Amino acid sequence: MILTRWINLRIGLIVLVAVLAQVAFFSYFKIFGASPDIVPVVIAAIGLLGGAVVGAVVGFSAGLLLDISLLETLGVSSLILLTVGYLAGRYRESFEIDSALGPALVAGGLTILAAAGSTAIELTLSVDTPVSGAIVGAAIVKGILAFLLAYPIYPLVRLALRSALVLEEPRTARRRHPAAARASGGRRPRIFRGRGRRARAPGSRVRRVTQAGTHR
Amino acid sequence: MYRKQVRRRRAVLVGLIVGSLILLSAHFSEAESGPLHVIQRGAATALSPLEAVANAALKPVRDGIDWFDETWEARGENEALKEELAEVRTELADAKVANADNEQFRGLLALNEDELAGFGFEPVTARIVTRTASLVNGTVGVNAGSADGVEPNDPVVAADGLVGRVTQVTSTSAQVQLITDPRNGVSVAVAEPNGAQGIVSATAGETDELSLEFFSNEDEVSANQIVVTAGWSDPTSGLSSAYPPGIAVGAITETSAPDVDFQQVTVEPFVDMQELTYVQVLTGGPKRPGIDGDDALP
Repeated sequence: MILTRWINLRIGLIVLVAVLAQVAFFSYFKIFGASPDIVPVVIAAIGLLGGAVVGAVVGFSAGLLLDISLLETLGVSSLILLTVGYLAGRYRESFEIDSALGPALVAGGLTILAAAGSTAIELTLSVDTPVSGAIVGAAIVKGILAFLLAYPIYPLVRLALRSALVLEEPRTARRRHPAAARASGGRRPRIFRGRGRRARAPGSRVRRVTQAGTHR
Repeated sequence: MYRKQVRRRRAVLVGLIVGSLILLSAHFSEAESGPLHVIQRGAATALSPLEAVANAALKPVRDGIDWFDETWEARGENEALKEELAEVRTELADAKVANADNEQFRGLLALNEDELAGFGFEPVTARIVTRTASLVNGTVGVNAGSADGVEPNDPVVAADGLVGRVTQVTSTSAQVQLITDPRNGVSVAVAEPNGAQGIVSATAGETDELSLEFFSNEDEVSANQIVVTAGWSDPTSGLSSAYPPGIAVGAITETSAPDVDFQQVTVEPFVDMQELTYVQVLTGGPKRPGIDGDDALP
């Protein structure tokens, strides 16, 4: 991901919208004892698109914003969400994402991890009453909801950050001027856009590859 | 090059984790007037207009989903209600007898309202604008703050009964710790017949019921008895409950097998915290010994 000032602003806006939507909308609903949690899903999506460092930094910032917004103990959500962002980024750097199922599974799994982590920290910090076993079921429900929410959220985040993704494959070939086509004898000129090592078979579409893997 | 990237990545991760832990321990251990809390409240004040706008903008969508959900549930309930109707008819006679008791409870609650007015509380109506998605903590944010006279430990009520108490205040918003938050304990008394006292607190992960603890074996209780705030105050020791007496909390649903000294009693709160939209913060009440900030007792 190429991080320009404009892209940083977009990421900031995505995080702000996600946090506001969480505290003012999604937390109002309870499904089988758990509220849908979109913030880990959005952080996982950003980690999957931007890598471990971007995911961790954005997760930390989102957690800080969430704790400030809810007037909760600072640092709890930051610690949890930076882990979510980092692990999502590491997944992206280790495996190829070639279907919509991958991001959904990552988001679902990491949301369960986030729910378990924040529950453990909250219980350690300030709760001395008994703990109900229903909390485990609620964490799993949160994970399932996150899995479902990732299907619309991941493509939306990807769309918002599309211009920053160096590995994006162009959807349509640009139409060439007839004079340029004649001058090159009908062959397509070599086009370099953005960073990254180019891997291209003769006559194939432009495609870029980095150490991290490919995006389709 | 690759090693450099890995080193950078690890450095960022370690830095952020250490930063989070420092933030967490510093914020947790410092007083409400500490610098981190002050910065947090300042930032929360700046955020609160955005939250209010988001809440208002998304309310129609929430209401639409709620309407759909309620309609769906009502369909299923229709058949069950028909069956229940037959049973209810037979219970009508018993209900008439119980009605006499209810009149007494109503009188008691009305008396309590008069008592609250007598205490000099000034209710401030506030809208809930934020909620936490935590599986443990139960807090909400309301759009009334110190500019409206709201202070930490002010009791918060709804039409049905006690909601919780204010724990943090900014100039335009406040955090309310619900009675279903396991960090919040409320000293209560059974309204009838003997005024036996105990403390209700939530079990982590259970938002629909409270446990009545430290309730002596010698006190007789049964289902449907109403529980109200005890509001005890001891001027000699300088300690008080954070809540004034007489606010309805819930009704006893069951009592379990008693242990050596205390019995376990389950209380269902009157207020449905999930459906809550508006609350009243009882501001400007009398000073209660020991209630001035962090050291509030249940």
